[in-house]
Amino acid sequence: MEQGFRASMNWLHTWSGVVLGGLLFAIFWMGTLSVFDREIDRWMAPMIRLPAAEKTFSLEVLRPLYEAAAAAKSPFFSVGLPTDRDAAIRVLWREPSGPVHRFIDPGTGVMLPDPGTLAGTRFIFPFHYMLHIRFQDIGLWLVGLAGMAMMVLCVSGVIIHRKIFTDFFTFRPEKKPRRLILDLHNVTGVLGLPFHFLISLSGLVIFWATYFPSSWQVTYNGDRLAFFADAYGNVIPKGRSGEPGGMASFDAMAAEARRLWDGSALRYVFVRNPGDAKSVMQIGRLDEGIVSSTYDAAYFDGPTGALISYRNGTAPVMSTQRFLSGLHFIQFHHWSLRWIYFVLGLAGCVLIATGYLFWLESRRKKHAQLGLKGVRIVEGLAVGSVTGMLIATGAFFVVNRLLPLGASAWGQDRAALEVWTFYLVWLATFAQAWARPQRAWMGQCWTVAALASAAVLLNWITTGDQLLRSLSHRHLWPIAGMDILLLAGAAFAAVAALRLSRLSRIGRVRHA
Amino acid sequence: MPDAILLLAIFAAAYLGFAALAMSQDRHWHHLGGGRHCPRRTCMVLRCSGWALLLAALVLALVRDGASFGSLLWATVITVGALSVVATLSWRVHWLRPAARLLQHLG
Repeated sequence: MEQGFRASMNWLHTWSGVVLGGLLFAIFWMGTLSVFDREIDRWMAPMIRLPAAEKTFSLEVLRPLYEAAAAAKSPFFSVGLPTDRDAAIRVLWREPSGPVHRFIDPGTGVMLPDPGTLAGTRFIFPFHYMLHIRFQDIGLWLVGLAGMAMMVLCVSGVIIHRKIFTDFFTFRPEKKPRRLILDLHNVTGVLGLPFHFLISLSGLVIFWATYFPSSWQVTYNGDRLAFFADAYGNVIPKGRSGEPGGMASFDAMAAEARRLWDGSALRYVFVRNPGDAKSVMQIGRLDEGIVSSTYDAAYFDGPTGALISYRNGTAPVMSTQRFLSGLHFIQFHHWSLRWIYFVLGLAGCVLIATGYLFWLESRRKKHAQLGLKGVRIVEGLAVGSVTGMLIATGAFFVVNRLLPLGASAWGQDRAALEVWTFYLVWLATFAQAWARPQRAWMGQCWTVAALASAAVLLNWITTGDQLLRSLSHRHLWPIAGMDILLLAGAAFAAVAALRLSRLSRIGRVRHA
Repeated sequence: MPDAILLLAIFAAAYLGFAALAMSQDRHWHHLGGGRHCPRRTCMVLRCSGWALLLAALVLALVRDGASFGSLLWATVITVGALSVVATLSWRVHWLRPAARLLQHLG
């Protein structure tokens, strides 16, 4: 019985790992990068490398853009206010031609030029939770499936581990590749278990209303808005009246919101139906001092500026959900935790990659003898999803520094060209891995090293912010951090490539 | 500043705690220059101090950051500490040899 159970768990672990490993690696990698999404934004959009914003600036600097949104009959006007990690104001509204994103320098009120990039917050972060597949929420569901699989893998991995306590600290770099890989897989898996389990669970909990829809659909008769009004305290939006209407003073409403929350800072401003007599202004609270992701908001009638309603604190049922969401989103102010998340996220990437490698190493010989194709197929999948993902990310950064502002080609604007580069390069890595499997790992490691170093060099050439300069200015530390991590990644990839080339030389001598 | 020192102390406690737990295992005890088996008394001492240090890390984390941030910090820092112990045992094992020698003399 015991043996049968363990064998079946082993089967489950092996095959869910092989089938979903590529997806999991992509999600873990993008999630790890998302820890520093706003820092990546600064690196990729040099115009927002601004010194920290003055604490007091007038929200009236937004008025001209608000008028533009109202004239375009945009359904909303959304403003992200500066934080410790983000010096610029972010504005979003919808023109008939499509969504418009703009940055504003809060110090001067000047609108900054279009950065022409989706960067961290709009490409890497959404990729992490929905893979940019919007159709029917398929991306969201795939990520949910992967998150669920990760928890299954964690549990089944513990069950099939024969010597979990004896091997707790065991990593023997001098052993043969297969043993070494399994050691690394075990160590990152067992020691990282609390983080990996918690991060997968909290990731699923964020989208509970999507993944477990029947509970609220039954209770609320499928009325999504009514459900969200109860769960998150949203005010059910009113429709457009069609009559034009003004907008009261932004600053007065912001001051009132701050007063309601005992002087707390503000996270965002969101206007529904700008320019309409029924416009509603929503102001969100910024609370970086707690783990929970709060959703306190105050609602004002747009034309009069009168307070409609506000929330202060979380209902008991939702507080667990908000705590788990908060520990996943890390929008709080805690740099040590942010770095630890990054390191443990990388450990998760190592865990997934070594899982693939172990599968390959333990089957390589047997498949060759039996003439099976499995190893070759999975190896291509593994190369493309591991090193290929790193190469695509590197290409995304490099092309961002190469394209001039306002560039466009084949009817695609600059931001779209960056995204195309990412996907095409990623696809090419799979093609290369399947076409030339012998040298794929080594060649792709060299490519990672080359792209990461090129990104640092291009950042220097195009912006002048080389490492010495960025380290000596506080507001450029995010740039310095990104450059240092890129260089460290390049060095790591180069060492890996050198080791692989030595191994292949030894292998060839042995075969000769 | 006290924040940075406390953070270092939390990490140090987690690292030393796991180092003690690792040393109490026969494989690592032997690797560190001890006999085939870690003597029972030494093993007990190492395990107790290992757990005590991990508990101390939790207390320090709660003192530094309060209940919610503190528990989160502890739950993640101990993984980093344990991974550092693994790296030490793999590449810098001589760092832990003096401690092992001392324990052999005492045991």
